[in-house]
Order: sequence, then C-alpha cells, then structure tokens
Amino acid sequence: MISGGAIIGQYYPVGSFVHSLDPRAKILISVIFMIVLFVGNNFYAFAVTGVFAVLAITLSKIPWKVLIRGLRPIVFIMSFTIILHLFLTPGQAIFEIGPLRATWAGLVQGMFIGVRLIILIMFTSLLTLTTSPIELTDGLEDILKPFSRMGVPAHEIAMMMTIALRFIPTLLEEADRIMKAQMARGADFESGNMVQRSKSLVPLLVPLFVSAFRRADDLAMAMEARCYRGGEGRTRMRELNLSTNDYFAFGLTIVMSALVVYTRVRFGPVIPRGAV
Amino acid sequence: MPIEVRNLTHTYMQGTISEVTAIFDINFRIDDGEFIGLIGATGSGKSTLIQHLNGLLKPSSGTVLVDGVDIWSKGVSLKKVRQKIGLVFQYPEQQVFEETVYDDIAFGPKNLGYSQKEVEGQVEEACELVGLDRELLSRSPFELSGGQVRRVAIAGILAIKPKVLILDEPTAGLDPRGRREILDNIKNLHETGISVILVSHNMDDVARLCERIMVLDKGKLVADGPAREVFSQGRFLESIDLKPPDVTVLMEKLRDRGWAVRNDVLTVEEACAEIVKELQRRGVAGAI
Ligand SMILES: Nc1ncnc2c1ncn2[C@@H]1O[C@H](COP(=O)(O)OP(=O)(O)O)[C@@H](O)[C@H]1O
Ligand SMILES: [Mg+2]
Repeated sequence: MISGGAIIGQYYPVGSFVHSLDPRAKILISVIFMIVLFVGNNFYAFAVTGVFAVLAITLSKIPWKVLIRGLRPIVFIMSFTIILHLFLTPGQAIFEIGPLRATWAGLVQGMFIGVRLIILIMFTSLLTLTTSPIELTDGLEDILKPFSRMGVPAHEIAMMMTIALRFIPTLLEEADRIMKAQMARGADFESGNMVQRSKSLVPLLVPLFVSAFRRADDLAMAMEARCYRGGEGRTRMRELNLSTNDYFAFGLTIVMSALVVYTRVRFGPVIPRGAV
Repeated sequence: MPIEVRNLTHTYMQGTISEVTAIFDINFRIDDGEFIGLIGATGSGKSTLIQHLNGLLKPSSGTVLVDGVDIWSKGVSLKKVRQKIGLVFQYPEQQVFEETVYDDIAFGPKNLGYSQKEVEGQVEEACELVGLDRELLSRSPFELSGGQVRRVAIAGILAIKPKVLILDEPTAGLDPRGRREILDNIKNLHETGISVILVSHNMDDVARLCERIMVLDKGKLVADGPAREVFSQGRFLESIDLKPPDVTVLMEKLRDRGWAVRNDVLTVEEACAEIVKELQRRGVAGAI
C-alpha cells in the first residue's frame, strides 16, 4: 500500500507550548536555528544547540519515539557521509583496508557531521510536527508578504501550497485505490525489470491524471463561484498575532545564537587547521 | 469456492497516532452459489472487509481461507486468488485507462496470461453478460455514459471468469434506470452459478435480491442471516443508522396501528398480498 505517512501523518496534534507558538515565529526560529547549526564548528556548539533542541522537544510534548522514527529515512545517507569522511580525511591512520585508510581526524569529522545532521533533522521536523499545514502556509504567506513588492507572488505561493497540501492525501488515497482496483484485474506493480515496471504504471497513472485534472477543474469552478480573485484585499479568518510566548521563544533563540558564536570564537573548529 | 473468514481484524496505519481499527474480529463462511448482501453505514468497514477476501489487504490479525487454504500462507499465488474472486471497486469507472473499451476489458485476462483467442472469447462473453453493445468495443471508454462505463468496468472483472463476484456499491451515483439495469445484470450473473456479494447501503436493492444479509456496524459483524430475518428487525437497523427497506417500514407502521400483517416481507408484491389479506380479514375486501 502506498502510505502517505511521511507527508500527511506529520502533524502531531497535541496541545503544547510549541504548538501554541505563532507559525511565523516557528518558521523564523527554524531558519535561524539552521544557520546557527552551521555557524557552530565544534562540539561545544553542539552542547548549546543540543540543549536548545532537547528543550524545544520536551516543551512540544512530541514523543521521542516519533522523532527517532523520523530519522529512519536518513540513516543511509548519514552512514554514507560518515564513512566518506572516515576514509577521505588525511591524518593518522586507525586501520587500513587495502588502499583505504581510516583516520582519527576522519572519525572525528564524520561524527561531527553525523551529530549535526541528527540535530538538524530532529529540530526541523519539529516545525511540521507542531504546526498544522494551514498554519504553516498562513505563516509563510505573511513572511513572504514584504517581498511581494519585489515581485514575489506571496499569496499565490501560499494558495498553491494550501491546495497541494489539501490534495496530496486525496491523490495518495486515490492512487492506492486505483492500484488495488488494477491488482484485482491481475495487474502486477512489483515484479519485472525497469522497463516492465514503468509500463505497468500506465494503468495507474492514466486514471490518476484523469481524476486530478477533473478535480482541478471542479476546484477552479468552485473557487470562481465563490468570487475568488487573488490575494488583493483578502482578509483572514484566523489572524496571526505574536504573543509573549513568541517573544520568549525569540529571546531564547537569540541567547542560543550568541552562545554558539562565542564557542566559535573561543574554541575554533573541531579539527584545528594544520593539526593533521 | 467457499470463503471462510476467522477472527479477522484490520487496523489502518498501525502504530501511528491516526490508527483506525476498521474491522474487528469478523467470522463467517460463504458457500458456493450464495447471494449475499453486505450492508452497513458509511465507514462501517464494508470496503475494508471485502478487500481482504481477495488478498488486496493483509489482515492485522486473523485468517482468510479460500478453498480451505490460508491465502497469506507461503506459496499461495495471490494473482490466482484474485482471478477466482473478482472484486469490482466502488466507482469502477475511475479505473479505466485503455484507448478502447475492448482493450480495457481485455486488461484482466491478458494479465492472467490467457491466449489472444481466449481473451477475445472472454471479452465477448463478458459484454454479453453485462448487456454491453458490441459496437462500443472499438470506442474510447472516456466517451461513454456513466452507466455504460460502469458496465465496461464490471465486464473487465467478469472477463477474468471469477467464481465469486464481489461488487462494492455498484449502483452508487447512477440514475434509476442505470441502477435497475445493473441490478438486473447482477441477478442474471448469480443465476449463471457464481456466488455474489453485493455491498450496498441501499436496503431496497439488497432486500429485493439477496438471500443472506450480513450487517456491519462500526467494524463489527452485528447480524448475519436470511434476508427475511434481518430485515424484519427494522428498529435495530435504524439504531445503527441504516434505513430499513420501504416495505418493511410500511409494515412496521401498519403493525403499530394494530394491523396483523407480517413484518418480514421483502418485496412490494409480498407487501400487497399481506395488506389485501388483512383487509379481507377485516371484511373490507369487497371495496377492493
Ligand atoms: N486507506 C485507509 N487508510 C486509513 N483509514 C481508512 C482507509 N480506508 C478506510 N479507512 C477507515 O476505515 C473505516 C472503514 O472504512 P471503509 O471500509 O471504507 O467503510 P465503508 O466501505 O463501510 O464505508 C473508516 O473509518 C475509514 O475512515
Ligand atoms: Mg466503502
């Protein structure tokens, strides 16, 4: 079965401090966090960003289980990165396999990148776990609005995202149903070589496109019938307002950023230049 | 081709926050040649249940036995199971994709490896069974009317020559004429000897056709028995958000007013006969 779990099942609807934050605040904090994570160039910085992430996760009431499950898709890429670093960084050898030489510096470097990736994925997935898709697009529209004078179609982008988010589950469900309907007629989506497999997708894709186009038509009609004519002069049902909680979160973020910058200046990179 | 279901439970998205147990601890047995109506309110688990019968869904727990063999045990070919147990999905017209009606109906038999000649024969036969005009075969399925495409889709399943035919709400969204025609087709199909499971939430259709009724409510099988027996429990059906057949409602109302009529009638004709009998007993028959 096609499972949309990764995309749709993302939002984790419990009430918490993090859930209650303004989506704009959460988006900005996530962006700042990402930058800071890359500014930090040693393990002391990780202590700071790590504590910040753990605090945020605790406050969000999202079970660790869910976050760790979210790491599963990147296990491969992470191991790959770590192994690459382990063998490609010059330095004192730990062991050698043929022409490959694992080094201590590579080990440290690989660990460093790995930890960074883990913190990055865990923290950023917190954004979509604690913010409903609707809130997210509302927040994004607001953040992009100042750029509309420079020609960024803020409202249109947000509307497209809203529609896409609305229809992804529907289309996945439909794909699942059509696939099963064709399997009931003996279709086989799983075996065969590349060519056979892509051919076997025709009975799935044709009906799926037909229905997607029909839905798009219907939706356009329904929007027009309700006098939709773009973003100009449109007001919101849910107005976004910054609260004290949001300022508090911003404050914490600034403190964290400052500390990371301090560790960078004070301690320098994890593998000091010229040390190897 | 007896089908037996034992302690069947299915949970969607198990282990996530949005997990739903759609059906719970279902048990029944279907024998050759039966005509079964599966009814239940929307969301009661009807579609989930029938997708287990030909191995499209895997049980979370419990077993499905076809011809006494667990279809999920090692070495069982699900493709073969799906050939023996044909399942017509709800709104099957949404699954057509070929350029011509012929090709679309032939999709199933081709997948199952029949020779070109056999395929031709089976497509013709299937068209006949659903009363589809031979001339339509070379047309594009996207040009046909709603009722016609639906018959194309049903023919697509019949062309694989199933021994059991399951139809998920085959009349949903059709006009009265299209609906009557489809139901007549289904009745004829049953008379050719295959077992039929008709999923519906239209009690009138089911009451007219089916011999045995299974009722699902919130994922549980709450009634399973002869149509007469099940439909005579009008109050019970109402309590689980099902509308009993019109004739049953009428008889219940008459009984409430003290008429001595049976409440297990299934067709308009039977109801008429009951009412005439009661009128005669009351001595007003001369008026008719
Ligand atoms: N693919 C699916 N993923 C998750 N939940 C589903 C899926 N299909 C059905 N359900 C849920 O299972 C329950 C039973 O659905 P279904 O079997 O379609 O009932 P019915 O056919 O009687 O209307 C419903 O609560 C429905 O929301
Ligand atoms: Mg259904």
